[in-house]
Amino acid sequence: MLTLGIDIGSTTSKCVILKDGKEIVAKVLKVAGTGTNGPEEAYEEVLKVSGLKREDIEKVLATGYGRKTYDMADGEISELSAHAKGVNFCDKECRTIIDIGGQDAKVIKLNENGVISDFVMNDKCAAGTGRFLDVMASILKLDIGELEKHAAKSQNPIKISSTCTVFAESEVISQLANKADLDDLIAGICGSVASRTASLAKRLGISEKVYMSGGVALNGGVRNALSKELGAEIFKTEDAQYMGALGAAVTAYEKS
Amino acid sequence: MNELFKEFYDIASNPEAQFKKYKDAGKNVVLCAPVYTPEEIIHSMGAVPFGAWGADIALNESKKYFPAFICSIMQSILELGMKGVYTGAKAIVIPSLCDSLKVLGENWKYAVKDIPFIPMTYPQNRKPEFGREYTKAGYERVIADLEKALGAKFDDAKLVESIKIYNEHNAVMREFSKAVAKCEGISAKDRQAVFKSAWFMEKSEHTAMVKDLIIKINGCDCKQGAKVRIVTSGILADAPELLNIFDEFGYHIVADDIAAESRQYKTDTKVNGNALDALTNKFAEMDNCSVLYDPEKKRVNMIADLAKANDAKGVVVVLTKFCDPEEFDYPLVKKACDKAGIACALIEVDRQMENYEQARTILETFKDVIA
Repeated sequence: MLTLGIDIGSTTSKCVILKDGKEIVAKVLKVAGTGTNGPEEAYEEVLKVSGLKREDIEKVLATGYGRKTYDMADGEISELSAHAKGVNFCDKECRTIIDIGGQDAKVIKLNENGVISDFVMNDKCAAGTGRFLDVMASILKLDIGELEKHAAKSQNPIKISSTCTVFAESEVISQLANKADLDDLIAGICGSVASRTASLAKRLGISEKVYMSGGVALNGGVRNALSKELGAEIFKTEDAQYMGALGAAVTAYEKS
Repeated sequence: MNELFKEFYDIASNPEAQFKKYKDAGKNVVLCAPVYTPEEIIHSMGAVPFGAWGADIALNESKKYFPAFICSIMQSILELGMKGVYTGAKAIVIPSLCDSLKVLGENWKYAVKDIPFIPMTYPQNRKPEFGREYTKAGYERVIADLEKALGAKFDDAKLVESIKIYNEHNAVMREFSKAVAKCEGISAKDRQAVFKSAWFMEKSEHTAMVKDLIIKINGCDCKQGAKVRIVTSGILADAPELLNIFDEFGYHIVADDIAAESRQYKTDTKVNGNALDALTNKFAEMDNCSVLYDPEKKRVNMIADLAKANDAKGVVVVLTKFCDPEEFDYPLVKKACDKAGIACALIEVDRQMENYEQARTILETFKDVIA
């Protein structure tokens, strides 16, 4: 049986096709989220990549910010439940998931059965989210993917406010005006996201193994800073960005 | 029953019409800001106490007076005042039970000059004798200001009569909440309409309507077991979008610890002699609220106990953004719920919310956790 999970985020759309609830057949990511053609394009492309047709898919579940308005799915699942399923699919030992998405951050606790026992979401604020990194990368005229390599070279990270994206933006501009070292500045930016997220995670308490999922998981600068803040090793899967879509596909299988 | 709920809903969603109705009938209307305004005193002096809890509106004018990071309930009350929505009210009574309320009172004096501000200054230590004297002095100040604003004289015997009306209303609202807990066919939206409409109605009128409703609820053949029983906690949870999400995911609110709902109906006034003293003692006896000082924080266990007593599977804390008293209590509420084995979720709301997607995600996930 083939099931499909589609994760429609604020900035990206991801699709995963799963066979018999066990094997990932295909996955696709489009940098275009809810309110765009991204979901449809991701769906079409994942079918193309896998050589499948729509009628081959038994069940489709949507997740993510745009799940409610996506009418091609048979049902929906919250992104927290989806990420929990997705990460648990990859590693049964995971007990804490930190998912930093485009516009929010979540910390999810799993019990020994891989089921959510508690969770917390960030305040309504861009600080500590992928949006924060987008804004900072834009100020620095860098691609978001370049932040990690700069942060890795830093010797003396500069402290950046984790309270507010707008305040942090002006801080970064001031630091640039003062000719601050770019690597140290970027390490400070990553540290700011990590600090904010760590505060959120500490509200729930950290149980190892700790995984990061979502797009920001790919940023080693944030991952390493978060690891230091929490005093715990932070794992990520190769498919960190697909955990929501994968979890939706797993749930679709379980519900079929 | 649905027709009766519609009546409550129409009143709750159109306070302007109620306000006009009372004014057209020649009644004096006195605005009552949250929380624990001594409505009984206002009622005894022949005026209609009218709830002023703000509205879900854009905040423009009030920002001249408030900083950005402050309770939006307060801001929206001032916004409505500045925009003339309350024109014709004889006064506004604003209690001093949180820092934002204190600021509201001071700002009101300058921003809304045609509606007199009457402060009700409560003590932090309300239980000792000196605290009771302080409360009584506050009530006496309210009475003196109301006498000026209304041109009416205070009479303790009339206060006795008003207290009876308010005690009966308290009892009826408690009974209503219990009746709803036994009937999961009643939506969060309908339940809230009954509580909210009470702000905008003379209490004996509201009591009569709620009594009729309770008879109908108790007589209906409601099925139980399909919905997820929860308790809500917070200052205010009246946003239609939020209530729709509760209903969409099949939640059944079986009890609440919401300041704008059941909290205000928990304590009756025991008259035994002077009515003003009795009202003073009522405030001293009140407990279990984030704005009522309690070094032992008994309310946190009360919330967990409320959930257990009502067979609720979870507590949803609807936190008004920038409400310090509620924010301080939340970690303790969460800990008490965890200890009692009751799941607890937090939703942040304010009066300017346009988008409830985060609340939707939290409530959808919470159902996965507890169902």
